[in-house]
Amino acid sequence: MDSAVTESWLCVDDESREFERFARPHAAAALRLARTLVRNEADAQDVLQDSFLRAFRHFRGFSGESPRAWLLSIVRNVSFTLWRKRERDDPGEAEATLDGEPDPGPSAEAQLLEACDAEQLHAALDRLPGLHREVLVLREMEECTYREISEILGVPIGTVMSRLSRARAQLVRELVGDPRSKN
Amino acid sequence: MGTFEEHPRGALHAYLDKELSLEGSLEVEAHLAECAACRRELETYRALRRLMQSAKASAPEAESALLKVTRSVRARRRRAVALSGFGAMAAAALVALMLVPKLGDGVVREVAAVHARALDSGRSVEIASSDPVALGQWLSARLPGAVPPTAGGDGFALRGARVDSLEGRPVATAVYQVRSHLVDVFAWPSTEKDMEPRPSVSGRWTVCRWSHAGVAYWMVSDAGTDDLKALAALIKDRRT
Repeated sequence: MDSAVTESWLCVDDESREFERFARPHAAAALRLARTLVRNEADAQDVLQDSFLRAFRHFRGFSGESPRAWLLSIVRNVSFTLWRKRERDDPGEAEATLDGEPDPGPSAEAQLLEACDAEQLHAALDRLPGLHREVLVLREMEECTYREISEILGVPIGTVMSRLSRARAQLVRELVGDPRSKN
Repeated sequence: MGTFEEHPRGALHAYLDKELSLEGSLEVEAHLAECAACRRELETYRALRRLMQSAKASAPEAESALLKVTRSVRARRRRAVALSGFGAMAAAALVALMLVPKLGDGVVREVAAVHARALDSGRSVEIASSDPVALGQWLSARLPGAVPPTAGGDGFALRGARVDSLEGRPVATAVYQVRSHLVDVFAWPSTEKDMEPRPSVSGRWTVCRWSHAGVAYWMVSDAGTDDLKALAALIKDRRT
Protein backbone atom coordinates (compact mmCIF):
# COMPACT_ATOMS: atom_id res chain seq x y z
CA MET A 1 0.00 0.00 0.00
CA ASP A 2 2.80 2.34 0.96
CA SER A 3 4.56 1.67 -2.29
CA ALA A 4 1.32 2.22 -4.19
CA VAL A 5 0.97 5.63 -2.61
CA THR A 6 4.58 6.38 -3.39
CA GLU A 7 3.97 5.27 -6.93
CA SER A 8 1.09 7.68 -7.38
CA TRP A 9 3.15 10.41 -5.82
CA LEU A 10 5.85 9.76 -8.39
CA CYS A 11 3.22 9.96 -11.09
CA VAL A 12 2.14 13.40 -9.91
CA ASP A 13 5.80 14.41 -9.96
CA ASP A 14 6.04 13.20 -13.51
CA GLU A 15 2.83 14.85 -14.52
CA SER A 16 3.66 18.19 -13.00
CA ARG A 17 7.03 18.19 -14.73
CA GLU A 18 5.38 17.29 -17.99
CA PHE A 19 2.99 20.17 -17.42
CA GLU A 20 5.96 22.48 -16.87
CA ARG A 21 7.32 21.49 -20.26
CA PHE A 22 3.89 21.94 -21.80
CA ALA A 23 3.16 25.38 -20.33
CA ARG A 24 6.59 26.96 -20.08
CA PRO A 25 6.88 28.18 -23.70
CA HIS A 26 3.60 30.04 -23.30
CA ALA A 27 3.98 31.38 -19.77
CA ALA A 28 5.12 34.85 -20.81
CA ALA A 29 2.27 35.17 -23.31
CA ALA A 30 -0.16 34.09 -20.59
CA LEU A 31 1.08 36.80 -18.25
CA ARG A 32 0.96 39.46 -20.95
CA LEU A 33 -2.62 38.53 -21.76
CA ALA A 34 -3.54 38.53 -18.08
CA ARG A 35 -2.05 42.02 -17.74
CA THR A 36 -3.95 43.15 -20.80
CA LEU A 37 -7.21 41.93 -19.35
CA VAL A 38 -7.05 42.86 -15.68
CA ARG A 39 -4.82 45.93 -15.72
CA ASN A 40 -3.43 45.64 -12.23
CA GLU A 41 -0.31 43.64 -11.57
CA ALA A 42 -1.45 41.83 -8.44
CA ASP A 43 -4.62 40.67 -10.17
CA ALA A 44 -2.62 39.62 -13.22
CA GLN A 45 -0.38 37.45 -11.05
CA ASP A 46 -3.43 35.90 -9.39
CA VAL A 47 -5.02 35.23 -12.74
CA LEU A 48 -1.81 33.66 -13.99
CA GLN A 49 -1.48 31.30 -11.02
CA ASP A 50 -5.10 30.36 -11.08
CA SER A 51 -4.87 29.69 -14.81
CA PHE A 52 -1.84 27.45 -14.42
CA LEU A 53 -3.58 25.49 -11.71
CA ARG A 54 -6.69 25.04 -13.81
CA ALA A 55 -4.65 24.14 -16.85
CA PHE A 56 -2.71 21.59 -14.81
CA ARG A 57 -5.91 19.91 -13.68
CA HIS A 58 -7.18 19.59 -17.21
CA PHE A 59 -4.18 19.38 -19.49
CA ARG A 60 -4.43 15.58 -19.69
CA GLY A 61 -7.65 16.06 -21.58
CA PHE A 62 -6.17 18.61 -23.97
CA SER A 63 -6.28 17.28 -27.48
CA GLY A 64 -6.34 20.41 -29.63
CA GLU A 65 -3.71 21.66 -32.01
CA SER A 66 -2.45 24.68 -30.18
CA PRO A 67 -1.42 24.42 -26.52
CA ARG A 68 -0.89 28.17 -26.59
CA ALA A 69 -4.44 28.91 -27.72
CA TRP A 70 -5.80 26.52 -25.10
CA LEU A 71 -3.75 28.04 -22.29
CA LEU A 72 -4.60 31.59 -23.33
CA SER A 73 -8.30 30.76 -23.47
CA ILE A 74 -8.04 29.62 -19.84
CA VAL A 75 -6.28 32.86 -18.90
CA ARG A 76 -9.09 34.72 -20.57
CA ASN A 77 -11.81 32.81 -18.73
CA VAL A 78 -10.10 33.29 -15.39
CA SER A 79 -9.67 37.00 -16.10
CA PHE A 80 -13.33 37.38 -16.96
CA THR A 81 -14.37 35.69 -13.76
CA LEU A 82 -12.31 38.26 -11.91
CA TRP A 83 -13.70 41.07 -14.06
CA ARG A 84 -17.23 40.13 -13.30
CA LYS A 85 -16.35 40.28 -9.65
CA ARG A 86 -14.47 43.57 -9.77
CA GLU A 87 -15.96 45.62 -12.53
CA ARG A 88 -19.48 44.34 -12.70
CA ASP A 89 -21.02 47.69 -13.45
CA ASP A 90 -18.27 49.28 -15.49
CA PRO A 91 -20.00 50.27 -18.72
CA GLY A 92 -16.65 51.12 -20.30
CA GLU A 93 -15.98 47.48 -21.01
CA ALA A 94 -18.78 46.96 -23.47
CA GLU A 95 -17.55 46.53 -26.99
CA ALA A 96 -17.44 49.93 -28.60
CA THR A 97 -18.95 50.26 -32.00
CA LEU A 98 -17.46 52.77 -34.32
CA ASP A 99 -19.63 54.95 -36.40
CA GLY A 100 -18.59 54.27 -39.93
CA GLU A 101 -15.33 53.01 -41.31
CA PRO A 102 -12.05 54.61 -40.37
CA ASP A 103 -11.02 57.28 -42.78
CA PRO A 104 -7.64 57.05 -44.39
CA GLY A 105 -5.45 59.06 -42.06
CA PRO A 106 -3.14 61.82 -43.00
CA SER A 107 0.08 60.54 -44.48
CA ALA A 108 1.87 61.74 -41.37
CA GLU A 109 0.04 59.17 -39.22
CA ALA A 110 2.64 56.46 -39.59
CA GLN A 111 5.33 58.94 -38.67
CA LEU A 112 3.43 60.07 -35.62
CA LEU A 113 3.15 56.45 -34.55
CA GLU A 114 6.88 55.97 -35.00
CA ALA A 115 7.38 58.76 -32.49
CA CYS A 116 5.25 57.07 -29.80
CA ASP A 117 6.89 55.15 -26.98
CA ALA A 118 5.82 52.08 -25.00
CA GLU A 119 4.37 54.17 -22.20
CA GLN A 120 2.09 56.07 -24.55
CA LEU A 121 1.08 52.82 -26.19
CA HIS A 122 0.10 51.19 -22.90
CA ALA A 123 -1.80 54.28 -21.84
CA ALA A 124 -3.70 54.24 -25.14
CA LEU A 125 -4.38 50.50 -24.86
CA ASP A 126 -5.81 51.08 -21.41
CA ARG A 127 -8.35 53.45 -22.87
CA LEU A 128 -9.66 50.79 -25.27
CA PRO A 129 -12.44 48.36 -24.35
CA GLY A 130 -11.11 44.98 -23.18
CA LEU A 131 -12.33 43.16 -26.27
CA HIS A 132 -10.24 45.45 -28.44
CA ARG A 133 -7.21 45.32 -26.16
CA GLU A 134 -7.03 41.57 -26.10
CA VAL A 135 -7.42 41.06 -29.83
CA LEU A 136 -4.62 43.56 -30.49
CA VAL A 137 -2.28 42.02 -27.97
CA LEU A 138 -2.95 38.50 -29.27
CA ARG A 139 -2.36 39.52 -32.86
CA GLU A 140 0.40 42.13 -32.67
CA MET A 141 2.42 40.98 -29.67
CA GLU A 142 1.81 37.25 -29.48
CA GLU A 143 1.47 36.95 -33.25
CA CYS A 144 -1.40 34.50 -33.00
CA THR A 145 -3.10 33.46 -36.23
CA TYR A 146 -6.75 34.35 -36.79
CA ARG A 147 -7.59 30.71 -36.18
CA GLU A 148 -5.85 30.71 -32.80
CA ILE A 149 -7.49 33.97 -31.82
CA SER A 150 -10.85 32.58 -32.84
CA GLU A 151 -10.17 29.56 -30.63
CA ILE A 152 -9.06 31.69 -27.67
CA LEU A 153 -11.97 34.12 -27.87
CA GLY A 154 -14.51 31.50 -28.87
CA VAL A 155 -15.78 33.57 -31.80
CA PRO A 156 -15.81 32.94 -35.57
CA ILE A 157 -12.86 34.08 -37.67
CA GLY A 158 -15.03 36.72 -39.34
CA THR A 159 -15.61 38.30 -35.93
CA VAL A 160 -11.88 38.21 -35.23
CA MET A 161 -11.27 40.11 -38.46
CA SER A 162 -13.88 42.78 -37.90
CA ARG A 163 -12.94 43.24 -34.26
CA LEU A 164 -9.28 43.51 -35.16
CA SER A 165 -9.91 46.12 -37.83
CA ARG A 166 -12.01 48.20 -35.45
CA ALA A 167 -9.47 47.80 -32.67
CA ARG A 168 -6.56 48.92 -34.85
CA ALA A 169 -8.45 51.96 -36.08
CA GLN A 170 -9.40 52.88 -32.55
CA LEU A 171 -5.89 52.45 -31.20
CA VAL A 172 -4.48 54.63 -33.95
CA ARG A 173 -7.03 57.31 -33.04
CA GLU A 174 -6.08 57.05 -29.37
CA LEU A 175 -2.42 57.44 -30.21
CA VAL A 176 -2.42 60.15 -32.82
CA GLY A 177 -5.84 61.71 -32.52
CA ASP A 178 -8.85 61.35 -34.70
CA PRO A 179 -7.69 61.39 -38.29
CA ARG A 180 -11.03 62.85 -39.33
CA SER A 181 -10.49 65.93 -37.24
CA LYS A 182 -7.22 66.55 -39.03
CA ASN A 183 -8.60 66.31 -42.51
CA MET B 1 -13.33 38.02 -52.17
CA GLY B 2 -14.49 39.54 -55.47
CA THR B 3 -13.12 42.74 -56.86
CA PHE B 4 -13.09 45.82 -54.71
CA GLU B 5 -15.64 48.35 -55.74
CA GLU B 6 -14.46 50.53 -52.90
CA HIS B 7 -11.62 50.03 -50.43
CA PRO B 8 -10.87 46.46 -49.32
CA ARG B 9 -11.28 47.28 -45.61
CA GLY B 10 -11.37 43.86 -44.01
CA ALA B 11 -9.11 42.37 -46.63
CA LEU B 12 -6.49 45.00 -45.94
CA HIS B 13 -6.16 43.74 -42.38
CA ALA B 14 -6.15 40.12 -43.48
CA TYR B 15 -3.47 41.06 -46.01
CA LEU B 16 -1.38 42.75 -43.34
CA ASP B 17 -1.76 39.64 -41.18
CA LYS B 18 -0.84 37.27 -44.01
CA GLU B 19 -4.16 35.51 -43.69
CA LEU B 20 -5.20 35.82 -47.34
CA SER B 21 -4.92 33.25 -50.07
CA LEU B 22 -2.46 34.01 -52.85
CA GLU B 23 -5.37 35.08 -55.02
CA GLY B 24 -6.74 37.39 -52.35
CA SER B 25 -3.31 38.90 -51.75
CA LEU B 26 -2.91 39.63 -55.44
CA GLU B 27 -6.27 41.38 -55.51
CA VAL B 28 -5.34 43.55 -52.54
CA GLU B 29 -1.99 44.35 -54.12
CA ALA B 30 -3.69 45.34 -57.35
CA HIS B 31 -5.94 47.68 -55.40
CA LEU B 32 -3.03 49.10 -53.41
CA ALA B 33 -1.23 49.95 -56.63
CA GLU B 34 -4.17 52.17 -57.54
CA CYS B 35 -5.21 53.58 -54.19
CA ALA B 36 -3.05 55.97 -52.18
CA ALA B 37 -5.55 56.06 -49.29
CA CYS B 38 -5.27 52.31 -48.72
CA ARG B 39 -1.49 52.44 -49.05
CA ARG B 40 -1.44 55.07 -46.30
CA GLU B 41 -3.74 53.01 -44.13
CA LEU B 42 -1.58 49.95 -44.54
CA GLU B 43 1.51 51.97 -43.73
CA THR B 44 -0.19 53.26 -40.58
CA TYR B 45 -1.07 49.75 -39.39
CA ARG B 46 2.44 48.55 -40.09
CA ALA B 47 3.78 51.38 -37.94
CA LEU B 48 1.28 50.40 -35.25
CA ARG B 49 2.55 46.84 -35.39
CA ARG B 50 6.16 47.95 -35.02
CA LEU B 51 5.18 50.07 -32.05
CA MET B 52 3.33 47.20 -30.36
CA GLN B 53 6.16 44.76 -30.95
CA SER B 54 8.74 47.17 -29.58
CA ALA B 55 6.58 47.58 -26.47
CA LYS B 56 6.19 43.85 -25.92
CA ALA B 57 7.53 43.23 -22.43
CA SER B 58 9.43 40.10 -21.61
CA ALA B 59 7.86 38.35 -18.65
CA PRO B 60 10.37 36.11 -16.90
CA GLU B 61 8.26 36.18 -13.73
CA ALA B 62 5.61 34.19 -15.59
CA GLU B 63 7.86 31.15 -15.52
CA SER B 64 8.44 31.51 -11.80
CA ALA B 65 4.70 31.60 -11.30
CA LEU B 66 4.37 28.37 -13.26
CA LEU B 67 7.08 26.65 -11.21
CA LYS B 68 5.47 27.89 -8.00
CA VAL B 69 2.22 26.20 -8.98
CA THR B 70 3.77 22.89 -9.97
CA ARG B 71 5.99 22.88 -6.88
CA SER B 72 3.02 23.43 -4.61
CA VAL B 73 1.19 20.56 -6.32
CA ARG B 74 4.15 18.30 -5.64
CA ALA B 75 4.52 19.51 -2.06
CA ARG B 76 0.85 18.79 -1.34
CA ARG B 77 1.39 15.31 -2.70
CA ARG B 78 4.40 14.73 -0.49
CA ARG B 79 2.50 15.86 2.57
CA ALA B 80 -0.16 13.31 1.69
CA VAL B 81 2.50 10.61 1.50
CA ALA B 82 3.96 11.69 4.84
CA LEU B 83 0.49 11.52 6.39
CA SER B 84 0.09 7.99 5.16
CA GLY B 85 3.19 7.07 7.20
CA PHE B 86 1.27 7.97 10.34
CA GLY B 87 -1.52 5.65 9.42
CA ALA B 88 -3.77 8.30 7.92
CA MET B 89 -4.22 6.17 4.86
CA ALA B 90 -7.82 7.19 4.34
CA ALA B 91 -6.87 10.86 4.14
CA ALA B 92 -4.02 10.12 1.79
CA ALA B 93 -6.21 7.98 -0.39
CA LEU B 94 -8.76 10.78 -0.56
CA VAL B 95 -6.12 13.31 -1.55
CA ALA B 96 -4.79 10.79 -4.01
CA LEU B 97 -8.21 10.47 -5.55
CA MET B 98 -8.43 14.20 -5.97
CA LEU B 99 -4.90 14.89 -7.10
CA VAL B 100 -3.73 11.82 -8.79
CA PRO B 101 -4.25 11.91 -12.29
CA LYS B 102 -5.88 9.48 -14.47
CA LEU B 103 -2.32 9.42 -15.74
CA GLY B 104 -1.00 7.41 -12.80
CA ASP B 105 -3.57 4.68 -13.02
CA GLY B 106 -3.82 5.01 -16.75
CA VAL B 107 -0.16 4.37 -17.33
CA VAL B 108 0.00 1.50 -14.89
CA ARG B 109 -2.96 -0.02 -16.69
CA GLU B 110 -1.35 0.60 -20.04
CA VAL B 111 1.93 -0.99 -18.95
CA ALA B 112 0.08 -4.02 -17.60
CA ALA B 113 -2.03 -4.25 -20.74
CA VAL B 114 0.99 -4.23 -23.05
CA HIS B 115 2.57 -6.98 -20.96
CA ALA B 116 -0.59 -9.07 -20.81
CA ARG B 117 -1.17 -8.71 -24.54
CA ALA B 118 2.34 -9.89 -25.32
CA LEU B 119 1.91 -12.92 -23.05
CA ASP B 120 -1.57 -13.79 -24.29
CA SER B 121 -0.61 -13.53 -27.94
CA GLY B 122 2.16 -16.06 -27.33
CA ARG B 123 4.59 -13.51 -28.72
CA SER B 124 6.36 -12.42 -25.59
CA VAL B 125 9.35 -11.52 -27.76
CA GLU B 126 9.61 -10.42 -31.38
CA ILE B 127 13.22 -11.58 -31.52
CA ALA B 128 14.51 -14.31 -29.21
CA SER B 129 18.13 -14.01 -28.11
CA SER B 130 20.18 -13.74 -24.96
CA ASP B 131 22.81 -11.62 -26.67
CA PRO B 132 22.37 -7.95 -25.67
CA VAL B 133 24.45 -6.73 -28.64
CA ALA B 134 22.34 -8.61 -31.22
CA LEU B 135 19.13 -7.41 -29.52
CA GLY B 136 20.47 -3.85 -29.42
CA GLN B 137 21.14 -3.95 -33.14
CA TRP B 138 17.73 -5.40 -33.87
CA LEU B 139 16.07 -2.69 -31.76
CA SER B 140 17.99 0.25 -33.16
CA ALA B 141 17.19 -0.86 -36.72
CA ARG B 142 13.51 -0.46 -35.85
CA LEU B 143 13.70 2.39 -33.40
CA PRO B 144 16.49 4.93 -33.84
CA GLY B 145 18.05 5.77 -30.48
CA ALA B 146 16.59 2.65 -28.85
CA VAL B 147 18.04 1.81 -25.45
CA PRO B 148 19.93 -1.50 -25.86
CA PRO B 149 19.16 -4.22 -23.29
CA THR B 150 21.72 -5.26 -20.70
CA ALA B 151 22.92 -8.86 -20.31
CA GLY B 152 21.19 -11.24 -17.89
CA GLY B 153 22.69 -12.63 -14.68
CA ASP B 154 21.86 -13.16 -10.98
CA GLY B 155 19.04 -15.56 -11.89
CA PHE B 156 17.66 -13.29 -14.65
CA ALA B 157 17.95 -14.66 -18.18
CA LEU B 158 17.66 -12.27 -21.11
CA ARG B 159 15.08 -13.82 -23.45
CA GLY B 160 14.59 -11.32 -26.24
CA ALA B 161 13.16 -7.98 -27.25
CA ARG B 162 10.18 -6.17 -28.73
CA VAL B 163 9.26 -2.68 -29.78
CA ASP B 164 6.19 -1.42 -27.94
CA SER B 165 4.32 1.83 -27.65
CA LEU B 166 3.84 3.37 -24.23
CA GLU B 167 2.27 6.73 -23.38
CA GLY B 168 2.28 7.50 -27.05
CA ARG B 169 6.00 6.99 -27.56
CA PRO B 170 7.80 3.98 -28.99
CA VAL B 171 9.89 2.15 -26.41
CA ALA B 172 12.47 -0.60 -26.55
CA THR B 173 11.29 -3.60 -24.56
CA ALA B 174 13.72 -6.14 -23.17
CA VAL B 175 12.26 -9.40 -21.85
CA TYR B 176 13.90 -11.24 -18.96
CA GLN B 177 12.95 -14.44 -17.22
CA VAL B 178 13.33 -15.12 -13.53
CA ARG B 179 12.26 -18.61 -12.42
CA SER B 180 8.95 -19.08 -14.25
CA HIS B 181 8.16 -15.37 -14.56
CA LEU B 182 8.67 -13.11 -17.54
CA VAL B 183 9.59 -9.49 -16.88
CA ASP B 184 9.09 -6.76 -19.46
CA VAL B 185 11.48 -3.84 -19.17
CA PHE B 186 10.42 -0.82 -21.24
CA ALA B 187 13.17 1.72 -21.67
CA TRP B 188 13.56 5.06 -23.39
CA PRO B 189 16.10 7.89 -23.24
CA SER B 190 15.03 10.61 -20.84
CA THR B 191 16.43 13.73 -19.24
CA GLU B 192 14.62 13.22 -15.96
CA LYS B 193 16.75 12.86 -12.88
CA ASP B 194 17.42 9.46 -11.37
CA MET B 195 14.50 7.88 -9.56
CA GLU B 196 14.75 4.83 -7.30
CA PRO B 197 12.77 1.75 -8.29
CA ARG B 198 9.90 1.24 -5.83
CA PRO B 199 7.77 -1.57 -7.21
CA SER B 200 4.09 -1.65 -6.37
CA VAL B 201 1.44 -4.27 -6.92
CA SER B 202 -1.49 -3.42 -9.14
CA GLY B 203 -3.95 -6.30 -9.53
CA ARG B 204 -2.06 -9.37 -10.63
CA TRP B 205 0.94 -7.35 -11.81
CA THR B 206 3.94 -5.89 -10.09
CA VAL B 207 4.93 -2.64 -11.77
CA CYS B 208 7.74 -0.25 -11.25
CA ARG B 209 8.74 3.10 -12.76
CA TRP B 210 12.31 4.29 -12.30
CA SER B 211 15.13 6.01 -14.05
CA HIS B 212 18.85 5.91 -14.04
CA ALA B 213 21.64 7.57 -15.99
CA GLY B 214 19.54 9.14 -18.72
CA VAL B 215 17.21 6.20 -19.23
CA ALA B 216 13.65 5.95 -17.93
CA TYR B 217 12.11 2.54 -17.28
CA TRP B 218 8.82 0.84 -16.67
CA MET B 219 8.97 -2.77 -15.52
CA VAL B 220 6.06 -5.13 -15.28
CA SER B 221 5.79 -8.77 -14.31
CA ASP B 222 3.89 -11.29 -12.25
CA ALA B 223 7.10 -11.77 -10.27
CA GLY B 224 7.40 -10.16 -6.82
CA THR B 225 8.55 -6.68 -5.85
CA ASP B 226 11.93 -8.03 -4.67
CA ASP B 227 12.49 -9.59 -8.09
CA LEU B 228 11.88 -6.26 -9.82
CA LYS B 229 14.21 -4.49 -7.40
CA ALA B 230 16.89 -7.07 -8.03
CA LEU B 231 16.51 -6.75 -11.80
CA ALA B 232 16.69 -2.96 -11.58
CA ALA B 233 19.88 -3.28 -9.55
CA LEU B 234 21.32 -5.66 -12.14
CA ILE B 235 20.50 -3.29 -15.00
CA LYS B 236 22.00 -0.34 -13.14
CA ASP B 237 25.08 -2.38 -12.40
CA ARG B 238 25.52 -3.40 -16.03
CA ARG B 239 24.92 0.14 -17.26
CA THR B 240 27.62 1.77 -15.14
